[in-house]
Amino acid sequence: MVLIAIIIGCLIGAIIGIYAPIIPYTYSGYLAIAIIAALDSVFGGINSLLKKNFDLKIFVTGFFGNAILSILLTILGQKLNVDIYLAAIVVFVGRMFNNLASIRRYYLDKWTNRKRTKTEVETEKATEQLEGENKK
Amino acid sequence: MNKEKVNKIVLSVIIALICVVLIATILVQFKTVEETDVTAIETMREAELRTSLSEWKSKYNEVSEQLQETTNRISEYEEKTNNEQETKNIVESELAQTNMILGKTDVKGPGVIVTLEDGEKEVVASYLVDLVNELKYAGAEAISINGSRIINTSEIAEINNSYIIINGAKRIASPYEVKAIGDQTYLSSILTLKDSGFIDKYTSDGIIVRLDQKREVQIPKYEGEMEFNYAYEKEDEE
Repeated sequence: MVLIAIIIGCLIGAIIGIYAPIIPYTYSGYLAIAIIAALDSVFGGINSLLKKNFDLKIFVTGFFGNAILSILLTILGQKLNVDIYLAAIVVFVGRMFNNLASIRRYYLDKWTNRKRTKTEVETEKATEQLEGENKK
Repeated sequence: MNKEKVNKIVLSVIIALICVVLIATILVQFKTVEETDVTAIETMREAELRTSLSEWKSKYNEVSEQLQETTNRISEYEEKTNNEQETKNIVESELAQTNMILGKTDVKGPGVIVTLEDGEKEVVASYLVDLVNELKYAGAEAISINGSRIINTSEIAEINNSYIIINGAKRIASPYEVKAIGDQTYLSSILTLKDSGFIDKYTSDGIIVRLDQKREVQIPKYEGEMEFNYAYEKEDEE
């Protein structure tokens, strides 16, 4: 059901994005920072999902809060004549790499484990994972 | 179970909403970046604008310096032209004056007209020479005999004791009309001196002399060539 929701959401978003007007170039810098922050939140969410400590409230507030905060920081940086957006990009992209690394490690571990014990362990893990997903 | 299902629906809706926002934003951003002309001045970054602005400023300064230089040069040339014009004017006025003195121009002014006619005796060339000398002595500035200008190289000569020529080949006959421009009273007083004056002297000799004072006498220019074939300007010895 969540997968279906993601697919539907992506489709609607694509349609809106295609038909939406373009924004002035001046604001596209802010938007880019917000997108980086949102992507960081998404990967963080996936990571926490795999580690089974996913919290919807944290995810949603992180998604919008990081985006807005990064925009505000960029504006502040322009007012102060300091390129704060560079710091934001470094932090967010760095965190994105960390999250991606842990996601990769998780699936790698899972794959090697499955290969090693093809019998009971696999079924147990699968049920465990299912349970974990159901919880969220 | 029911609550769990509601929770799941809420989760799905929220995640779907987040996907919508994320994808839409990303696509809008892609489109913006793609469709924006980076070289257009409205979309240039501030640093680029600053660089090009300073470039243009220095160019402007250069060009205005050039303009200043050119303007200076133009005014210099104009000054020079004015100076040349002044010099030319001076030379021209000098030339005109010289021409007038030489007798190369038609002139007019106050003066006298003396008419000599054959009476009991015929008028001879020496009478005319005498008259011209008298007029010159009295300060006449321009003299003509029968419409022929007398200049400093003019001659008055008698050929075969029968006719008079002036200015080379011009033959003249009685009556002789001598015009002179100068101070009227001075000219006429010199001519009309008692006994020794020209009029008394030659009237008593038996020719008819008439003197008219005119407010305006017109004297034509000398019509011959004025050329030196043998004389040259002496060069300064160094």
